[in-house]
Amino acid sequence: MNCEDARTQFVDYWRGSLEGREAEFRAHLAACERCRAEAEELKDMWSTLGALPEEDPGMQLRVRFYDALRDWRQREAERRRPRWWLHHPALQAAAAMLILVIGVAAGYLVRGRDTSEISQLRGEVYNMRQLVALSLLQQQNASDRLRGVNYAYRVEQDDPQVLSALLTTINHDPNVNVRLAAVDALHKFTDQPVGRRGLEQALAKQASPLVQIAILDQIVELRDRSAAPAIQSVLSSQNVNPDVRQRAKWALKQLQ
Amino acid sequence: MQAVRSGDLGALAILFERHHRSLFNYFLHLNGNRDLSEDLVQDVFFRILKYRQSYQRERPFAAWMYQIARNLNVDSVGKRQFEVSLGDKEFPAVNLMDENLKRKQEVGLLKRAMARLPLDKRELLVLSRFQNLKYEEIAAILGCDAGAVRVRVYRAVRALGQIYFELAGERAS
Repeated sequence: MNCEDARTQFVDYWRGSLEGREAEFRAHLAACERCRAEAEELKDMWSTLGALPEEDPGMQLRVRFYDALRDWRQREAERRRPRWWLHHPALQAAAAMLILVIGVAAGYLVRGRDTSEISQLRGEVYNMRQLVALSLLQQQNASDRLRGVNYAYRVEQDDPQVLSALLTTINHDPNVNVRLAAVDALHKFTDQPVGRRGLEQALAKQASPLVQIAILDQIVELRDRSAAPAIQSVLSSQNVNPDVRQRAKWALKQLQ
Repeated sequence: MQAVRSGDLGALAILFERHHRSLFNYFLHLNGNRDLSEDLVQDVFFRILKYRQSYQRERPFAAWMYQIARNLNVDSVGKRQFEVSLGDKEFPAVNLMDENLKRKQEVGLLKRAMARLPLDKRELLVLSRFQNLKYEEIAAILGCDAGAVRVRVYRAVRALGQIYFELAGERAS
């Protein structure tokens, strides 16, 4: 192995990927002082290069990507719809009548049901929103998490994953504003027993009077009588905030 | 990528989550501009969608993706000059007693040296060192053979070393 061959192997040597050439390479290094010195000198720089910190792109990139992906899918779905009759002007009138008749008949027959493509598209858009909501709720930045809560509103179905993420936010998020927004967003999930029970349980766990009051209001609005024991336990705790105590008493009265 | 190719556009979200950060850093090392790099990352994924039929399953996905990224970068070069972020321009001359500070200065010097390196060499280092791609993968991106990549990576390391030690010398004198 000559000097030039050896030098082009430096990177493999630092990476530990010399494999079968290692013995020959090391023999050259032992014999050639210049190559040895160069390998040593550049090695430190190579390792510092690998330790350069990676930067994170802004949150906006993710949001923009998912928005654009949704638009793209809508366009694709529209493009795939057959429109052969557009190219046959002579058939247009007949086709229009036929479509009208079929449309009306089909409308009656499958009332409330979508075509598979539209419902698939809806499902996909829905999945996107769910993904964005879930990923935003886990961000470091409070304003990103707030946006995650707002995205949770756009989840159309009662989604257990988004529901559980919202409950986690209510119970554990360090920021009061985010917790308050999550309590509001939970409203659409309160048709489910899990949502209502989550709300009751969160009442006891809250340290912030503002959030406690928001939860109490929500319970009253739902007329959820099963929450009465949870409110009682707030009233019986020692260090409850006077405003919260007052609101809890009022809530109990409303539920009776 | 197979799923995206066969029409499951939702699978692109998985590819995005897996690769967008490395792509962002790839562009950032090449152009030094965060906004531009974010735009380019977005463009890469939509070119992947647009040209998904041309993806060949036997090719490594990363190589194909970086080839797209590379073309986009070439298109954007010339419109803008490389911008070194302000924080890297000036490092105060202080006594190098503190190891941490010394390390920081080395990193700062190295960033400056990278910024001065010609684009083709810088790109080779980004692909081989930051993105940890194998010579074969880089060869597929650049359209040459792995042996040539090995030689070019070494030359890029040496060129970076020259600039780096020059800058370190200026600082010391």
